[in-house]
Amino acid sequence: MSRPSTRATWTAYLLSLLLGLVLQIVQLPESLAAARPLLPAMLLAYWALREPQLPMLLPAFLIGLLMDVLLGTPMGQHAIGLLVLIYLVVSLRSFFIVFPLWQATLALIPAWVIYCFLMYWIDGATHHTADRWLRWLPALSTSLSWPLLWSVMELIRQPGEEE
Amino acid sequence: MTSLHDSYHRPLFPRGPGFGLKTLLMLALALSLLFYDVRGQRLQGLRHWGAAALTPVVWAAELPPRLWHSLGGIDSKSSLERDNQNLRQQQFVLQAQLQRLQGLEAENRRLRELLASTAQLPEAVLVAEIVNVSQDPYRHQIMLNRGSSDGVYRGQAVVDAYGVMGQIVEVAAHSAKALLVTDPDHGVPIEINRTGLQTIALGLGDERGLRLPFLPSNADIKAGDLLVSSSLGGRFPAGYPVGTVYEVKPVAGEHFMEAYAYPAAKLNQGRQALLVWNRNGAPASEEPAAEPAASVPAKPAPAPATKPLPAAAPAAKPAGRP
Repeated sequence: MSRPSTRATWTAYLLSLLLGLVLQIVQLPESLAAARPLLPAMLLAYWALREPQLPMLLPAFLIGLLMDVLLGTPMGQHAIGLLVLIYLVVSLRSFFIVFPLWQATLALIPAWVIYCFLMYWIDGATHHTADRWLRWLPALSTSLSWPLLWSVMELIRQPGEEE
Repeated sequence: MTSLHDSYHRPLFPRGPGFGLKTLLMLALALSLLFYDVRGQRLQGLRHWGAAALTPVVWAAELPPRLWHSLGGIDSKSSLERDNQNLRQQQFVLQAQLQRLQGLEAENRRLRELLASTAQLPEAVLVAEIVNVSQDPYRHQIMLNRGSSDGVYRGQAVVDAYGVMGQIVEVAAHSAKALLVTDPDHGVPIEINRTGLQTIALGLGDERGLRLPFLPSNADIKAGDLLVSSSLGGRFPAGYPVGTVYEVKPVAGEHFMEAYAYPAAKLNQGRQALLVWNRNGAPASEEPAAEPAASVPAKPAPAPATKPLPAAAPAAKPAGRP
């Protein structure tokens, strides 16, 4: 199996982002809905770590706006969260990629927490107060599903090739 | 495997000096979008375009539940028979009630004609399917599969078989988003069925339902009272059940009482909602009928009851964001 060409990478990039958006709004049971992993954020972080030559900021911004439209939040709320997340991940990329997977999972926890905090903060600033501990559940579920997402994406990206 | 792929050959300084700057610029853009969206209605167009572009995404997200539902539709014969029998009985009872209602409606119309006020009872309705997509768990919203192509408009009332669900806040071509009565942004003008006291029910944002703030401390309201929608504000059709009071308590240090109510509509069950057209909902015409009842029990009513229109109208709109 040869290295993925740029075009294949681009296709995978856009398709995975689209799929992330779809999975963001798929109905979950009421009890799980608050703990939905931040899939678009995870996918963007994955691609930022794995394929640094891809443009990240504009897609993050657009995906954020689309999420705002889908979820009915004020325009720009998720865009801000994703932009900050991508900035962190790209700037600290050399720090994240030296770790094996499980350590990288731990190292990324602050990034998810910052994202959750931004969402919480903007909600508060726009008078959507929902002061619950549940707000932090996505950070937990995202951290837990990060190794899974990473492995699955690696499998899809380079079928049949061992790292 | 030993050499890097073409795409990995990057400049010696992989992060161009522009990265932080670009992030800052985009953050500024996002912040200004946020500001304008929170402050006004100017970004509705952008939202419309986004919603139109996202129609396939919503459709795809709705597929798995729909498949699941169609699989679950394969029922055993006995359960179908049981359902059928139940529905038959229910229909029989409802039919009987309807006969009475038709008589009452005719009588009501005659009385209204005597009072020289316009009859309002027949309202156009449209059944909409609740699209099975999850919204932000901290916002009480549902998405419906009817949009501006069906004549749905912003501010339209949404009811179900048991009561008022909420109102439309966002309309795309083939879908619409409704804010539920339990959302903290939502207020609905109501009337207490037993006494006719007019007030406003705000959403609490959780399962505890609705809050009736600023009730006068001698207001005649108690647990078990049925709240029905009032047409003050001109947005909701009058007379639909909104909720049932379960607690009335004085606010510490204030001259007011607060009441709490469970919503009447089954907000997170069922797949259908009814859109109600209330175009001739001129609030003034409802006034003569509502006023005498309202003035009997609660004379020293606060703002919502004494000056109905200015107080009720803003509350009928979603307060902050559209």
